[in-house]
Amino acid sequence: MRAVAFAALLFASAPCAAAEIEIALTDDRVAVDTGFAGARLTLFGAISGIDDPASVDIISVISGPGGRFHVREMQKSNLIWTPGPRHVVDGAPGLYLTYSTRPIDDIAPLPLQADYRLDAEYLDFHIGREGAATDIGERHALFRSAFLSEAEALGLYHARVGGVAFKKGSLFTITARLPANTPVGAYDVAVYLFRHGELLGSDTAELAVNRVGMERRIYDLAHNRPVSYGLFCVALSLLAGWIASLAFRK
Amino acid sequence: MQLYLPIAEMPIDPFLVIIMGATVGFLSGMFGVGGGFLMTPLLIFYGIPPAVAVGTEASQIVASSVSGVLAHLKRKTVDFQMGGFLVAGGAAGSLVGILIFRALLASGQVETLIAVCYVFFLGAVGALMLTESMRALFRTPAEKRRTHKRRSPAWMASLPFAMRFRASGLYISPIPPIVLGFFIGLLAAVMGVGGGFIMVPAMLYILNMPTNVVVGTSLFQIIFVTAITTVLHAAANQTVDIVLAMLLVLGGVIGAQLGVRAGVRLRGEHLRALLALLVLAVCARVLIGLAVPPASPFIVESAS
Repeated sequence: MRAVAFAALLFASAPCAAAEIEIALTDDRVAVDTGFAGARLTLFGAISGIDDPASVDIISVISGPGGRFHVREMQKSNLIWTPGPRHVVDGAPGLYLTYSTRPIDDIAPLPLQADYRLDAEYLDFHIGREGAATDIGERHALFRSAFLSEAEALGLYHARVGGVAFKKGSLFTITARLPANTPVGAYDVAVYLFRHGELLGSDTAELAVNRVGMERRIYDLAHNRPVSYGLFCVALSLLAGWIASLAFRK
Repeated sequence: MQLYLPIAEMPIDPFLVIIMGATVGFLSGMFGVGGGFLMTPLLIFYGIPPAVAVGTEASQIVASSVSGVLAHLKRKTVDFQMGGFLVAGGAAGSLVGILIFRALLASGQVETLIAVCYVFFLGAVGALMLTESMRALFRTPAEKRRTHKRRSPAWMASLPFAMRFRASGLYISPIPPIVLGFFIGLLAAVMGVGGGFIMVPAMLYILNMPTNVVVGTSLFQIIFVTAITTVLHAAANQTVDIVLAMLLVLGGVIGAQLGVRAGVRLRGEHLRALLALLVLAVCARVLIGLAVPPASPFIVESAS
């Protein structure tokens, strides 16, 4: 399988003279089932038109699906701490992971980082008070940085140096780790090839994270037919309780 | 090993959850209580979203009440007439509780409501139980012999629709049991408890029911009201995680069997004092969670 992927990439990229980068995913579907505890994602890639692969840098960005988050500031009311009003984060990816050969600031100049959103700092999203049309003004920056650092703490956003391994010559692999709380939906995987702060090429691939099996059936039933699901839960609980009482009857 | 919960949408360690169920089952078997007031906070401390902890616990209580209800039905120690009024009140209370829960879930304050309810009720019940058991422990034998004479309270008979409750030997209006049931239903919906820890004392000391039918009748009410609450939580909030519930039931039934065996070796007063301390400890832990400044000044929640 790997060999085939490598060969296909080599063949596809061989005729090109200019520097190019191409990627393929071993599996473009990630299944969230009852045993899901995160997933390892392997990208295969090839660089062409480069004489010395050691002189280039690679940045890979995995982002998706457009999620909605709430940011809330903890407030002290009387003696207890309670979460304050919700601020809706709109347009931020539900997951945003980057892997690079070196720290991104050493690879790409800031304007390019901003153009290609190579760093979470440059993500384009809006935060506003839920249900209120007014802008939150100067507190926007505070909420923005709070969101980014909390998303990192939750494992949803991170920037890793590493994960990129050069194989024979111009072939490389990127090993990404999707966390257990990976949201379901459609993802974009992008790779960028840099040399001396200059962007030489890029390529993208698509990835889908879906619920499957038992996990999916329970989720769908609970959300599409909630009353039937509730009755099912009660019936199963009564049955379990009855079996238990039989098992321990003297 | 990890197991991904379909409704809580998070991975958990199934063995740890079974052990949690067994531990709470052991304590509830030993003390003769339902254990919902221990399980729900424990699930929240573990990281289960509070709304899911409450909804799921309702279905676990259904399962863990079955064997008790069957035993009491066989012994004919259930006052069905009283139980019927308690269930009617409980269904209405559960519905109102779910509506409050849903409104607070939408405004994002449900966690605070759950925690404040826990501190208030566990604090009050724990303190009452502790003083009562202390008094019992240090009572002289002469005082011990003095028995409490049970009779129908006159004010309850003077309320409208007064009727005879044969199994309980009472002549009272059905309004007090309906109000009591309503209140317990409200607690079941908001706190994820059966409510036995409040209902049993209320039946004994307020309704003046005889001891032999109190436990059976309260279990009868609990199984119906938690079943209704389960359906309502599932329908209104989609917060019942059946996989989590079944893991807890599995641990719980095993723990409860061991707990009952451990409980018979202890004196009643000692058991009540220990239970009171346990209730107060849970109360203190929830209170600390509310009062201690949070680690991070902001929280991020995913909004689906």
